[in-house]
Amino acid sequence: MGEIEEKDIDQGKKLGTQELTLSMGPQHPATHGVLRLVLELDGETVTKCTPYVGYLHRGVEKLGENKTYFSALPLTDRLDYISSMSNNVAYVVAVERLFGIEAPERAKYLRTIMSEMTRISSHIIWLGTHALDIGAMTVFLYSFREREWLLDLFEQACGARLTVSYPRIGGVRNDVSKEWLDSLYRFTQEFPARVDEYETLIDQNRIWLQRTKGIGVISAEEAINWGLTGGTLRGSGVNYDVRKAFPYDAYDKVEFEVPLGSAGDVYDRYRVRMGELRQANRIIKQCIEQMPDGPVLAPDAPKFILPAKENLFKNMESLIHHFVLLTKGPLTAPAGEIYSAAEVPKGELGFYIVSDGTGKPYRMRVRAPSFIHASVLPRLCEGGLVADVIANIGTIDIVLGECDR
Amino acid sequence: MTIKKFINTVFMTEILKGMALTFRSMLTPAITRQYPKVKRSAAAGFRGEHAFVRDPETGREKCIGCGLCGAVCPSQCIHIYTSEDPETHKKIVDRYEIELLRCVYCAFCVEACPVGAISLTENYEYADYSREALYMTKEKLLANWDKFMAGKKGEEYFKKFWHPQANDFAAYAGQAVFNHKPKVEGK
Ligand code: SF4
Ligand code: SF4
Repeated sequence: MGEIEEKDIDQGKKLGTQELTLSMGPQHPATHGVLRLVLELDGETVTKCTPYVGYLHRGVEKLGENKTYFSALPLTDRLDYISSMSNNVAYVVAVERLFGIEAPERAKYLRTIMSEMTRISSHIIWLGTHALDIGAMTVFLYSFREREWLLDLFEQACGARLTVSYPRIGGVRNDVSKEWLDSLYRFTQEFPARVDEYETLIDQNRIWLQRTKGIGVISAEEAINWGLTGGTLRGSGVNYDVRKAFPYDAYDKVEFEVPLGSAGDVYDRYRVRMGELRQANRIIKQCIEQMPDGPVLAPDAPKFILPAKENLFKNMESLIHHFVLLTKGPLTAPAGEIYSAAEVPKGELGFYIVSDGTGKPYRMRVRAPSFIHASVLPRLCEGGLVADVIANIGTIDIVLGECDR
Repeated sequence: MTIKKFINTVFMTEILKGMALTFRSMLTPAITRQYPKVKRSAAAGFRGEHAFVRDPETGREKCIGCGLCGAVCPSQCIHIYTSEDPETHKKIVDRYEIELLRCVYCAFCVEACPVGAISLTENYEYADYSREALYMTKEKLLANWDKFMAGKKGEEYFKKFWHPQANDFAAYAGQAVFNHKPKVEGK
């Protein structure tokens, strides 16, 4: 090869560098659904990140206004579809508070058990996919093994695995059997060992540590300002949990701790959620041991609850309630508004319901944690490397069904 | 750097531990199923394809055409067409159709029906290539009943899964509560 000439070097100096705009998603497997990020890259560094949401918009809030309180329940299944049981519970608790009715004790315990089972099944999906995104495949396979057990239990309890529609306004759909409780109790005895297994695989793994420690750091103050909730907030060390702050169902009767992180990075949020897995298991165990017998649907609120089928043709009143409830909704619903929140696996899921005294909500607004968490992505990604974008999407734990509603 | 940390770094103990775990798992029985060859039967009370209850006395459907199932259906996928019998002035259900492609399998129709005329079955393998196959008519729904729910089974299911409220308004004998410690074993 010939000598490099002076004029070639001058030519090279004139070539500028240019930022690259990269559209990531909406079909990217690591975006947990249909999230689209437009990234501006300077080499490997992200200089700007803009999330685009709305690909899964179904108008859940508007649909809710056109359905009776009873029929709107399956809509909430489809918010965060991997934790449908908690969404149902959040919704029915909000409506119960609005109507001023109480579910019976047994139903409250059952709903708490179901919410915590959902927390486990949602967190192990999160763990599996998050680890898979970062490059640890085995955890994904192991976590789905335990999830299968939980989904089988859902199926036996209510006839559906994913979109359960099990809780009802004023209680739950049906009671559970002895075999079901036994199987769940065996699960609670075995599960802590399984969590240890997941931790053996990644907890100290040097690749995992390098990919998660010091990545996506957000301080406690900033996390609060961004409106983060759930594990994403507690990873920064803020002690806020709806189950402790505004207890619903049976959460004030069981003992549990709220795991907290300190550094506010991806690794701490991972530790928090692993702690939550153990605590959820503990709550389920206590609930099984404490659960009283008794009704599972409020017997003293006939105007809001479908009457027993046996009474329909014996009792005129029951027949009227039955027809009115199903066609028009509870016409005796008090007018007013309520904001009620529940701690779902992703964070604080709130329902703001305005009732004008007809059988349908005048307005139903969903405070979806995933939507709020997606908004913090630019803050976490900008200035970081492009490979860490994936870690950041995983760590805020979003499901786009809930984000787009 | 302590000696322990040094050993961990050099010998990659944490990775070896993980490897040991995956190796142990290799020796445990597989938990996956080869689906089309090995079929999984759904749990009792699974909310699958619909069926119309065949009344053992008349041999026809029980439906009285009240329209409650259509009113409560969250996806509005039940269509009921009725007419009046000119002589007896009774309501006749001419057509009863369910668009399965829109159904969300919530079983609210079953809970709403005052006479227990509709139920869901445990059949979950109803995928098909044509839309017509997933558009249920009265005849198809009645055939489903004969296929999946005939005999005592249907009656039991109504008591246990579809209309269980009667039990649920009070404590009853044999209700599941925790009073013994089950042995720890596999599922
Ligand atoms: S199961 Fe639900 S969605 Fe399907 S037809 Fe019945 S009420 Fe409608
Ligand atoms: S199936 Fe039941 S609810 Fe539906 S129209 Fe017939 S009788 Fe009424």
